[in-house]
Amino acid sequence: MATALMAAATTSCSPRRAAPLLKPVASSSSSSARPRRPLAQQLPRLLATAAAAVAAAPLPALAEQMEKAALFDFNLTLPAIAIEFLLLMVALDKLYFTPLGKFMDERDSKIRGELGDVKDASEEVKQLEEQAAAIMKAARAEIAAALNKMKKETTAELEAKLDEGRRRVEAELVEALANLESQKEEAVKALDAQIASLSDEIVKKVLPSA
Amino acid sequence: MNITPCSIKILKGLYDIAGVEVGQHFYWQIGGFQIHAQVLITSWIVITILLGSVIIAVRNPQTIPTDGQNFFEYVLEFIRELSKTQIGEEYGPWVPFIGTMFLFIFVSNWSGALLPWKIIELPHGELAAPTNDINTTVALALLTSAAYFYAGLSKKGLSYFEKYIKPTPILLPINILEDFTKPLSLSFRLFGNILADELVVVVLVSLVPLVVPIPVMFLGLFTSAIQALIFATLAAAYIGESMEGHH
Repeated sequence: MATALMAAATTSCSPRRAAPLLKPVASSSSSSARPRRPLAQQLPRLLATAAAAVAAAPLPALAEQMEKAALFDFNLTLPAIAIEFLLLMVALDKLYFTPLGKFMDERDSKIRGELGDVKDASEEVKQLEEQAAAIMKAARAEIAAALNKMKKETTAELEAKLDEGRRRVEAELVEALANLESQKEEAVKALDAQIASLSDEIVKKVLPSA
Repeated sequence: MNITPCSIKILKGLYDIAGVEVGQHFYWQIGGFQIHAQVLITSWIVITILLGSVIIAVRNPQTIPTDGQNFFEYVLEFIRELSKTQIGEEYGPWVPFIGTMFLFIFVSNWSGALLPWKIIELPHGELAAPTNDINTTVALALLTSAAYFYAGLSKKGLSYFEKYIKPTPILLPINILEDFTKPLSLSFRLFGNILADELVVVVLVSLVPLVVPIPVMFLGLFTSAIQALIFATLAAAYIGESMEGHH
């Protein structure tokens, strides 16, 4: 059926016969003055002309014209394209799909591995940080202990010096007090002697003729 | 579809650069067989673009990707994700097939929309996206069929054919029919979309040459990308379907 239609179309398409017939169809948009006939009405006439042409034309000419407008013309092109496609598939597979796919997969796994490594490394960093914190703690404790010890030593030294000073002061005080006592006794002794002589004199004076 | 090339031919004198010749082929004869040379030429260019950019970008992969490598890594991840979603855990061996399918169709479609093929004159016919030709799309669809048969047979052995009488033997004809409708729908969807997209742009350009076709062209780019995605997704889905166990 398609072939018959095509034949009709082909024949009607041959420029010398069909051009005047088809002009209204092509230029109908511009010629509104002329009465327009719908395509459905034109079609029988067109087909009739085509049939007449087919009847009139000798067979070789018809075959030639059919060849000219063959929309569904299967020939060697089909297997040729199929083979070309298969070759293209092999070539693209060798050049593109396999190498680039492999490359991408490898890169994916590499990135994934590196990401895993980074996660491990973060644990390591944590460990190191803990270690550092422990060291810091120990150092602080050491410093505090040294400080305390130094404080204690200094305090003891100071106290010892203080004690010594106090003792010396006390000794000097005792000595001074003893000096004072002895001087007082001497003074008292001297006073006693004077008191005796004075009393003798007073007695002499008071008692004129003793 | 039949009328457009005629009207385009009438307008060709005015909008030569925008013209399209549907169903016109530039033939080569190879050993008595005919071949659509314009499809072959454009597919070579598409393959060159693909291989060239891949070689330049991925030649020396860096741990920190450069621009090109980054782009191709993104594409590869996208394809892997697509395959994984559709096929499941055993998607690995199918990445090249799905990826090549997607890239080839995508670059083909966009080459049809973006590359100025019209600059290169052919004796007959014209250069266009390779997916513009039914041969290409059918070839890709048949390869997909072969791929999912291979996937099913290599995974399950001959018990793969048990799926034809699951859930009940009454569905046997429909299950067999499915093997034909799958490549048919795959190929015609892609072919129709790309051809229709180019035709819409051409017709719009021939009617209003300025500004108006631009959004349609962008829509065409979008459609082309979506069609490539759909084809690759469906191919992966078919493969996954034939590999998974029916319980």
